[in-house]
Amino acid sequence: MATAAGNEPLFVERFPDEAAVAKANLLVAFVALGIGAFFGLVQALHRTDILRIIDSADYYTLLTGHGVLLAIVFTIFGLAAFFHWATARSLDQPAVSTLFSWAWFGLMTTGSLLASVAILGGLVPNLGISADVLFTFYAPLQAHPIFYIGLAMFIVGTWLSGADWFLSYRAWREDNPDERIPLQAFMVLTTMIMWYIATVGVAVSVVFFLIPWSLGLIESVNPLLTRTLFWFFGHPIVYFWLMPAYMMWYTVLPKLAGGRLFSDPLARVVFLLFLLLSTPVGIHHQYLDPGIAEGFKFIAMTNTMFLLLPSLLTAFTAVASIEHGARQRGGEGYLRWLGALPWRDPAFAGMAFAGLIFAAGGFSGMINAGMNINYLIHNSLWVPGHFHMTVGTAVALTFMAAAYWLVPQLTGTKLYSRPIGLLQVVLWFVGMVFMSNAMHRAGLAGIPRRTAEPQYQNFDFVTPIGSIFELRVQIAFGGLLLFLSVVLFLFNMLLTAFGEKSERPVDEFLPAPLSGPEGSPRVLDNLGLWTGIAVVLVILAYTLPIAGIIQNGGGLFGGGLPVPVTVFPDVELVKTVLAGALAALAGVLL
Amino acid sequence: MRFTKAQALILIAFSIPVAIELRTVAGFFNYDLPLIGVVVIEFLFLALLFVLYGLYGEKSTPAAQ
Ligand code: HEM
Ligand SMILES: [Cu+2]
Repeated sequence: MATAAGNEPLFVERFPDEAAVAKANLLVAFVALGIGAFFGLVQALHRTDILRIIDSADYYTLLTGHGVLLAIVFTIFGLAAFFHWATARSLDQPAVSTLFSWAWFGLMTTGSLLASVAILGGLVPNLGISADVLFTFYAPLQAHPIFYIGLAMFIVGTWLSGADWFLSYRAWREDNPDERIPLQAFMVLTTMIMWYIATVGVAVSVVFFLIPWSLGLIESVNPLLTRTLFWFFGHPIVYFWLMPAYMMWYTVLPKLAGGRLFSDPLARVVFLLFLLLSTPVGIHHQYLDPGIAEGFKFIAMTNTMFLLLPSLLTAFTAVASIEHGARQRGGEGYLRWLGALPWRDPAFAGMAFAGLIFAAGGFSGMINAGMNINYLIHNSLWVPGHFHMTVGTAVALTFMAAAYWLVPQLTGTKLYSRPIGLLQVVLWFVGMVFMSNAMHRAGLAGIPRRTAEPQYQNFDFVTPIGSIFELRVQIAFGGLLLFLSVVLFLFNMLLTAFGEKSERPVDEFLPAPLSGPEGSPRVLDNLGLWTGIAVVLVILAYTLPIAGIIQNGGGLFGGGLPVPVTVFPDVELVKTVLAGALAALAGVLL
Repeated sequence: MRFTKAQALILIAFSIPVAIELRTVAGFFNYDLPLIGVVVIEFLFLALLFVLYGLYGEKSTPAAQ
């Protein structure tokens, strides 16, 4: 981290090329955010029957667009911008090759465009291109090949982006053989290692099964296999969304609050725990899938509960650092210090709101993660309620809030309006409280997710308190506020980008943590070791379930007769329990 | 301490989740709070906030602080 306060030249002056790449990534992210949010509003109004401007048959086209544009395009381009910035600033050196940076950006963008064309093609009758497969693209739902091809290009683009940051790191290492990896770079690298491991699942699924199948080269696929491969990647992707947000909470939020990060080593431990535990838990999305033995689901649940640990550590560190900041600003008392925080600053307020909603989303996530209680809420509207608090707010709102602080560093212009920024984050918070809370409640009442018309004939959903009508209104109203919030955000960003250049548009300086990395074990920085352990855990967690799915589920490409699995043979049981125990033990020890 | 516009806005924001789930809380005590009750309570809270802001807010005279 930089040492001198104040007079350093701006990021955009020191690293003009990196700033340009980061800006381009943010541009794609924000365009996706705008379109995706509009689709979200249409869906919210449609499925609550408040206002219907589309045909119910087109609902899935929009829902696929919404999921892909927001959960994949917006989040990952946002991440790429933050990571590109963080790598250059924390290593204090430019990327190895600007051309290479533009190459991965170009590949990711082309891939996203192809996938978007495939999805939106569904709105044009007789075009023959569609991809109404939702962002989970479960077979036997089938999309046009360019959807999968676009997706594959996008993923390869993200791999190259990671290579870009690793190359920077290698160059830095040559000049600094004995130094600890700067914290932000450490976070970028561990996140990318996790991503490399995780994307193996989706790459295999798309390249070996879905693309050949959509091109008609193979007759069928084994749907449980592609689904399992999807979730092999689908759980860790949630940490791919969250870890850049955590990076902002650890390294930027304390500064915005007026203090400094509580502990650098703790932050490193948290990122390592995510690297180790993100992937071997994916089966927790498949508690209700027949064909996966209960024992494997139980192991996934156990690992998932261990994953709570780094999130709770993060909650602790974030609050401790914020409190430290407030006390530096003269805050006192048990709770009165909260008043001393810089609430006026949309970057701070947005991240604080995001953290608060994340706490609520964490609780509903624990319900999802419990194998038995999951049956209560599975595939109900509760689930979108949950992830609009996590990825839809903890991540999305943190990204927007961070943009208020970061974009001026990239453009060299002052933020157009702080009050509008504050109003925007408040609107998001209030809108999300309305929409997400009501979604949770509607889910408890049994209302399904992923449907344009959740009403059934001769059947009434009942709520313990209030009425279904109120819930519908709350969802629609919340969706409206959220959409308005996005409009304000984009408007503010646009005017900022075209604003006047300023000498010092924002205070870029990040202070060193209260407790630095010096005293912590050097093994924390041994990325090779941690990668190895992560791979072993994944092999332990997935080999047997995947073997079972192929054997009992009609072979690698389906087609055969599936054998229903309920109880599995004794040897198998012993093996899996052992594997689970090992994985769990490793989770505790490391 | 001075009461800023931003703080008032944040307090309003925080009051929304409390208001939305107020009937659940009342339900824990076996009390059936009607929707209109929630609206009135939220309204009273906002009114109180306005009064406090008038007294201690950014634009109030130093004597009032
Ligand atoms: C303007 C704000 C937003 C509104 C009004 C909104 C609304 C909705 C609604 C109504 C659904 C559909 C529920 C269903 O029928 O199952 C949905 C699904 C979804 N939303 Fe949002 N949302 C918003 C923002 C976001 C953000 C910021 C993200 C992620 C970064 C996100 C990610 C998703 C995902 C992944 C789905 C599930 C799609 C699927 O089931 O395949 N949303 N959203
Ligand atoms: Cu998961």
